[in-house]
Amino acid sequence: MNTSIRREKALGMVVACFMASQLVPCAIAQSTEPVPVQQATVSAADFQKLQDAVAKLSDQVQKLQQANSAQQQTHADDLDQIKRLQDQVGQTQQTAQDAEKKSTAVAQSQEQELQAPLDEATVNHNFQMLGDAEFQYIKADNQHGTFYQADFAPIFLYRAGDNILFEAGFDTTLQNNDGGGYSTTFNLSFAQMDYVINDYVTLAAGELLIPLGTYEQRSAGWLNKIPDDPLAVDALIPGSEIGAELQGAIPVGNDGKFFNYAVYGANGPSSTDNTADAGSLDLGGNVGARSDGINANLHPDPSGGGRLGFFVPFAKPHTDLEVGISGQTGEWDNSGNYNWSAGVFDAALHLGPNFELKGEYIKTSYGTDNMGEIRQDGWWVQGSYKLAGLPFDAPIIRNTELVARYDSLNDGMGTTTQRETAGMIYYFTNTFLFEGDYEFLNTNKSNPNQNPTGNLILQLSLGF
Amino acid sequence: MSIYKQPNALFPTTLAAVIAIMVIGGLASDLCFAQSVSGASPSPTNSPSAQPNSSDANAVVPGQITGAELYSIHCNRCHPERYPTERTAANWKTINLHMQIRANIPPAQARLILKYLQDNSGR
Repeated sequence: MNTSIRREKALGMVVACFMASQLVPCAIAQSTEPVPVQQATVSAADFQKLQDAVAKLSDQVQKLQQANSAQQQTHADDLDQIKRLQDQVGQTQQTAQDAEKKSTAVAQSQEQELQAPLDEATVNHNFQMLGDAEFQYIKADNQHGTFYQADFAPIFLYRAGDNILFEAGFDTTLQNNDGGGYSTTFNLSFAQMDYVINDYVTLAAGELLIPLGTYEQRSAGWLNKIPDDPLAVDALIPGSEIGAELQGAIPVGNDGKFFNYAVYGANGPSSTDNTADAGSLDLGGNVGARSDGINANLHPDPSGGGRLGFFVPFAKPHTDLEVGISGQTGEWDNSGNYNWSAGVFDAALHLGPNFELKGEYIKTSYGTDNMGEIRQDGWWVQGSYKLAGLPFDAPIIRNTELVARYDSLNDGMGTTTQRETAGMIYYFTNTFLFEGDYEFLNTNKSNPNQNPTGNLILQLSLGF
Repeated sequence: MSIYKQPNALFPTTLAAVIAIMVIGGLASDLCFAQSVSGASPSPTNSPSAQPNSSDANAVVPGQITGAELYSIHCNRCHPERYPTERTAANWKTINLHMQIRANIPPAQARLILKYLQDNSGR
């Protein structure tokens, strides 16, 4: 409305100016050239001219008024259309906001339903098999030589995303039966689920390789440079137990040093015959499931343990040292009257790419009904040298490694055993190798037929 | 009371001494010839981790250990090194996680090792 008023005012001013422009010169002429009054009359021609001019101006004013009306109508239509568009935009924005809210709600709902790990739903998972196979020939003193065993020990790995791993190891061997024929043993060596919570904590649960020392976790099977285990490892500590564990490592600096730790709870050892006699200790048999159908541990409380280690690489390549101390304690007899406890010190030294020295000292004790406190201990130390370190290029030399081990065992019940082992490894490839060892066994038991004083062991091993 | 079998007592002791001398002599030899044979392993003669590394991420940073070095150090603690080309990148990721847990090494170091292995993997 204001616009139309301004236009009318402007039109009036135009008409006034035009009339003034026509009349003023006449007035000026009259004022500058005084004439008699009778000579001031307008001639008919001028008057007609003036009438024509006024008529023309009237037409122009009418046309402008018509144009102005049309423009006003157009303007009003434009305003209506703008208002309608604004309303539509508002509705569209509301619709979009509602859709966004719904979408967010749906996404949150789906996220709550899926939980972590989301990458499980992607292709970021993997399954594969590792493991090893061994074939042995043994000639024991006072015994017939025999092709001893064919051992197949696969490890199955399933990685579910970046931080979750399931790993299970089996050991399959053949064994002669007493009454003839043979049987195949199929043992579950370990089966654990691992969840890397962050850079410093990993949760593991299941049938765990117990971190009492490092041998059980890192040296069993083809990894060890001597075919059989140290006496003290086999006799004094459990290889695996069912439980849960938190482990992790903390770097120290940027040159490779770190501390590592492990704390765990497990069912612990048990009794083979429900008694608390010295000979009844069963280190690895308490697997949780009971034959009577009761879901309970064989004794009142589980065991607890842990390991603390430190690894340091030195400036010289392949030169490093790891030391660790570990222990476990807990009830072992069904009544829960006695504890079984173990402590292990382990160390591994590498001096260059060819020399390795490692060993463990193991000490255990447990209470019994018939023999009081049984205190056992044992240790082993193993050194090896790869002849590739010598200045000879012959493959027979470069692919050979010499190895020697000394180990001992005191069972705490009157029997002590020492064993010296000397042998060699020939590497056909980095994973296919031949091992030949001779063991000298010394024991204070009086019956040599039950305790051979020497064993020759030949083994082919393949790691895959 | 120990009742050792005396006939065998001298022989194993002698053999152990011989082996010990060989090991000690070998160690001394290794230290003497370390410069010329550094990185060598029995089989194959060239260490897998000595293979050319195409990754810039494993470029040597003064004062910081590399993925190749960590791979060589940690693998050789338990078994001979494997060639990175023996496995695919996805398989190395699984094996690396398995070894990280088994040897209880820091994940930060394991990531450097994995980077080296995947950069040089068989695929």
